[in-house]
Amino acid sequence: MEEKNEAQAISDSEDIINLVIARLKTIPSNVELSVGNEGSFSIDELIESVRKQDDIGKKMIEVQLAYLRSLGKLPTQELQNAAPAN
Amino acid sequence: MLLLLTRPRYDTPTHYLFYWAGLLIDEAKKNSVKVIDLDRNKAKKKKLHSYLAKQPVDVVILNGHGNQEAVAGEDNEIILSAGDGTNLLKNKIIFVRACDAGTILGKEIMQQGARGFIGYVQPFIFPSDKDSFSKPLEDELAAPVLECSNQVGTSLIKGKSVAEAHKDSLDKYTKAIDKYSSSEATNSFLLPILLWNMTSQVCYQ
Repeated sequence: MEEKNEAQAISDSEDIINLVIARLKTIPSNVELSVGNEGSFSIDELIESVRKQDDIGKKMIEVQLAYLRSLGKLPTQELQNAAPAN
Repeated sequence: MLLLLTRPRYDTPTHYLFYWAGLLIDEAKKNSVKVIDLDRNKAKKKKLHSYLAKQPVDVVILNGHGNQEAVAGEDNEIILSAGDGTNLLKNKIIFVRACDAGTILGKEIMQQGARGFIGYVQPFIFPSDKDSFSKPLEDELAAPVLECSNQVGTSLIKGKSVAEAHKDSLDKYTKAIDKYSSSEATNSFLLPILLWNMTSQVCYQ
C-alpha cells in the first residue's frame, strides 16, 4: 500500500512538472525572468531548471502552483502532496 | 522630508531597478522632497552608513539583491545586514526592494526602532523583454510588476504611512491582476508573477 502511494506521488509530481513546463512554454521567447539573487533566465533555461528540479526550477513550480491554487482550479491537497520538497 | 535611495547597477535585475527607482527620484523632486541618491559606485556600505548616521533621513529605499538577513549594493557588496547597520534606521521608514529581506532583516530593523518596514519574504521576480534592455522604462513586460512595487515609494514620498503605502501597492497589484485576467488581455503569463510578488510583500509597523 505504501509503495503504491509512493508511486502515485511520483506520478503526481511528474504531472505537476509537466503542467508547469506546459505553462512556461506559453511565454513568448523574448521574455526573460529576473529571479532574485539568482539572475535572469530565458524561458528555455527555466524549463530546463524545472526538469532538473534545481532551486530555480522549484521556485518556478512554487510560483505557478501558488497561482493555480489561487484560481481553485486544482485541489489544493493534491497539489501539496505532489509538490517537490524545497 | 529627506529621502535616501540606493541604486546599484551591475546586472540585469539591478539595471532595471536602477531606472525604475530613478522615477521615484523624479516623483520626489515633484513633491519637493530632498533626495540623497546613492547610485552605482556610491551604493556602498561605508557611504550608506555614513549618510544614515549624519543626515536626518526620513525614508530609506534600498534597491538591489538581498537575502533573509542582508541587502547588497554595487557589485553585490553587503551594505546592510542583521547586526550591522540596522540601528541606524531608528525612527525611519524603510522600503527594501530586494529578495527575502522581510523575513529576518525587516524584523530586526523594526526591533531597532524603525517607524515602519516594507519588503518581501520571497524572491522578487519580474519579467523583461530582451529587446527592451536598453530602454527599461519602456519595457511593457516589466512595467506591470515594477509599477506596483514603485507604488510603495510613490506613496511614501507623498507622506503616506507605511500601512497606506503597502495598501496602495497591493491595490495596484489587484488592479493589474484584474486587467491581465480579462479574456481580451494578452501577456496573461504575468498573472502568476504579479500574484507572487503581491503575496510576498510584507509591511511591519
